[in-house]
Amino acid sequence: MLQFVIAGLVVGGIYALASAGLVITFVSAGVLNFAFGSIAYSVARTYYYLHVQHHWALLPSVVFCMFVIGPALGAFLFFVLFRHLALASTLVKVVITIGLSVALPPIVVLLFGDMQIALAPGIAPQPVHIFHVLGAAISMDQLLVYIFVAAILGIGFAVLRFTDAGLGVRAMVDSPAMTSLSGGNPSRISLAVWMVSTFLAGVCGMLLAPIIGLSASAFTQLIAAAFAAVVAARLRNLGVAIAVSFAIGVAGSVLQYWLPPASTLTTAVLPSVPFAFIVVFLVYHIVRAGRVAEGEGVGGALDRAIVPHGGARLAASLEKASGGGVDPRISTWAPIVGFAFVLVLPNLLHPFWVGLMAQAVATTLFMLSYTLVTGEGGMLWLSQITFAGVGALVSAQLATRHGWPVLLAVLVSALIAAAMGTFLGLVTLRLGDVYVALVTLTAGLLMEGLVFTRPVFLQNGVGVVLNRPHFANSDKAFVYLGLAAIVLVSFLIINVRRSTTGLALNAVRWSETGARTLGISVVQMKLLVAGLSAFVAGIGGAFLGMQGRVALGDNFSVYFGFVLLTVVVTIGIRSNFAAIVAGLSFVMFPQLLEEWLSPKWIQLTPILFGIGAIQLAKHPNGVMVEQMHENGRKVTALLRRLSGRGPSEGQPQPADPPEQPATVVS
Amino acid sequence: MSDVVLAARNIGVRFGGLVALDEVDIEVPSGALVGLVGPNGAGKTTLFAVLSGLLRPVKGTVELLGRDVTKMSPQARARMGMARTFQHLELFHDLTVRQHVVLAYRVRHSYSRLWRDLIDLRGFRRPPREEDRRVDSLVSLLGLESVAEVPVAALPLGTTRRVEVARALAAGSAVLLLDEPSSGLDPRETQQLSQVLRTIVDAEGVGILLVEHDVGMVLGLSSMVTVLDFGRRIAVGTPDEIRQNEQVKAAYLGDSADTDGSVA
Repeated sequence: MLQFVIAGLVVGGIYALASAGLVITFVSAGVLNFAFGSIAYSVARTYYYLHVQHHWALLPSVVFCMFVIGPALGAFLFFVLFRHLALASTLVKVVITIGLSVALPPIVVLLFGDMQIALAPGIAPQPVHIFHVLGAAISMDQLLVYIFVAAILGIGFAVLRFTDAGLGVRAMVDSPAMTSLSGGNPSRISLAVWMVSTFLAGVCGMLLAPIIGLSASAFTQLIAAAFAAVVAARLRNLGVAIAVSFAIGVAGSVLQYWLPPASTLTTAVLPSVPFAFIVVFLVYHIVRAGRVAEGEGVGGALDRAIVPHGGARLAASLEKASGGGVDPRISTWAPIVGFAFVLVLPNLLHPFWVGLMAQAVATTLFMLSYTLVTGEGGMLWLSQITFAGVGALVSAQLATRHGWPVLLAVLVSALIAAAMGTFLGLVTLRLGDVYVALVTLTAGLLMEGLVFTRPVFLQNGVGVVLNRPHFANSDKAFVYLGLAAIVLVSFLIINVRRSTTGLALNAVRWSETGARTLGISVVQMKLLVAGLSAFVAGIGGAFLGMQGRVALGDNFSVYFGFVLLTVVVTIGIRSNFAAIVAGLSFVMFPQLLEEWLSPKWIQLTPILFGIGAIQLAKHPNGVMVEQMHENGRKVTALLRRLSGRGPSEGQPQPADPPEQPATVVS
Repeated sequence: MSDVVLAARNIGVRFGGLVALDEVDIEVPSGALVGLVGPNGAGKTTLFAVLSGLLRPVKGTVELLGRDVTKMSPQARARMGMARTFQHLELFHDLTVRQHVVLAYRVRHSYSRLWRDLIDLRGFRRPPREEDRRVDSLVSLLGLESVAEVPVAALPLGTTRRVEVARALAAGSAVLLLDEPSSGLDPRETQQLSQVLRTIVDAEGVGILLVEHDVGMVLGLSSMVTVLDFGRRIAVGTPDEIRQNEQVKAAYLGDSADTDGSVA
């Protein structure tokens, strides 16, 4: 038993460092860093590269990676990215860190090579020395975890409590604005906080590597467990976060002691422990406070008052999104012409590329679920890929095992996904944006670990066959079936957008209080968009399964969902046609890179889309959509000049919108 | 006196040990404008939250059109005929001025469209003529014609305050709660707003409860005024009675305050 407690404290200690790193960046910068796992992976992979691949001595490798690479990465990210996000919305900040989490690992792979590393050394000298205490074995790696955790937490506590720098950080937490007015320098403090946070990420990575090996998705998944502690701490209580981290580590380890070894139940239950903590603490917070929102605890009154919710910047963004200044005929016909081009493509391309198009249309169908839930509903759900998985797995069960017609199976599986989405919508009703992202991420990871790995779905790792309808057996026919489905879903989204439902959704998105006092049921609207988007995701997942002719849970990992989210955000989250371009780009672009350059450069795809998502603060409507609107304006101006009407004739030029004073959403 | 459309009786609210409202009564008749004033922290915004359903009182009742709505949600009260504006605007930035008014009209007059539109594709058709007429008249009444198709995010504060009022009126409300509508407006805009409020009371016949820091505006527009201080009602009466009230002068107005309330 003692052996298990010792192991639990090791994992709990690493969680504690991670949760501390997450909490300090949230309270000081308002950013919940979903890229923490990727940063940990990047530093750990650098350490492996230097120490193992280039035979640097242990001590210089550890010191260089831990004290130089980690903090330097934090400083770099602060200067190029995070310092520009002070006034960005919660949703934008979360998406940007997701973009970072997608872009970082492939950059590391490009730099250090693509290797499967199951066994990585820790920071203890090899061979690792084993101590025996009270009959229990403690490895040098484990001992070093204890030493690092104790030292870092002790020094951190002392700095925060007894030094001027600590006072500055605590003042920032209460109110960056007041800190600034009192002569403090919030930027310098933020820089220091980011460097400390990435230092902690680096330490976590180097301590985790000997336990889980070196894999970006494993790091993301394990660090996501630290989110449980962060939720328990309501994103800001460092002490609670650390205590709960240890509790999660020990609880998981002790459960392992009690559960039967080598059982599928054990392997399913153990990764679920942190998520059980999330559920318990969320229920506790909701029962206690009625609602859990991240904004309540961050910054002072002055800080909340200066957060902009309107003004010329927003107006300009909306103008770009709506394609203002573009001739309506161009706005209408450009996507139709683009779609017509896509329609003829299967007749022009080589069968190999038509096969890729089949994958692209299935991906597009899935991406339209993001257009609905995030583009229209304004909610960041990280479990859309899980609903896609449900669509594929249930379709395969119904069609292949029970002999249902495949399209009926797809429809029913999408309805099941919709029911699950509606339920999750109900669970997240009283949560703020960051919590919604966390809970949907948790739900996705839980399904991935607990359900998708069941033998009935896994079938020894090969999945369940999911055949296409007989009339769409060829790639070309399947492309047209997929395009027909895209047209139907797009029509549904356009109808939502134009209808009273769309107006009400928009109202809820901008101001729940305003919507409620107008008579709109926020609950109904949120459940509607949750259910519809999960339905579309389910259809997309089933099409992805049919395209590959197999339904396998591994193809619907949360991490893969992150990648697809960055793609659609980069191209345009509020445009149906952008979703088509996103699907085509995601599938075709890596192949083009491989053809033109070399297989190594396939890594450029997630890097570019990750960086694209990072641009969200600058291009909230997507890079491509904003560029299309810009081109549309130029073409409109050109047409007017050619027709002799000139820019000033016909309609008056709007004056620059006046800057609206900052308003507060209470 | 006209029928009472909104009445709050014996309202009590506590925040921990702090008594925010203590046995407060207030009535709003139809076709009348009632003012609610008081110094900062008097409990005006708390009373508004109680009346609109955003906050539940520990004691007392709220009646809307003669029906006890104390335990009803804000959206249920809105659908019964109560609308409100906010000191800090609660507008929907993506929507144009006209869309705000259209949405409010439909929520009140054809709520089922929130669901039916998804199926019957009515979003692609022309709206009913009656809706168009009402929306146009409200846009015109509030002087918003020139910006009707502009997203509210692009509008100046004075205009957006009028959008909130238009939206509230479109809901076909029997009673309107206006929370500091002149906050952030310059004197000219305040004067315009006052004229609009007078027109609304006269033309639409709704009851208005107006919370305002601009005492001159409140006393100039209201037929009755209630004064709060430290969560208690210290006076209620006509504007003239309030001006002469010694307790109100001591707590709020002072001796030299400009309270003539002259409104063009």
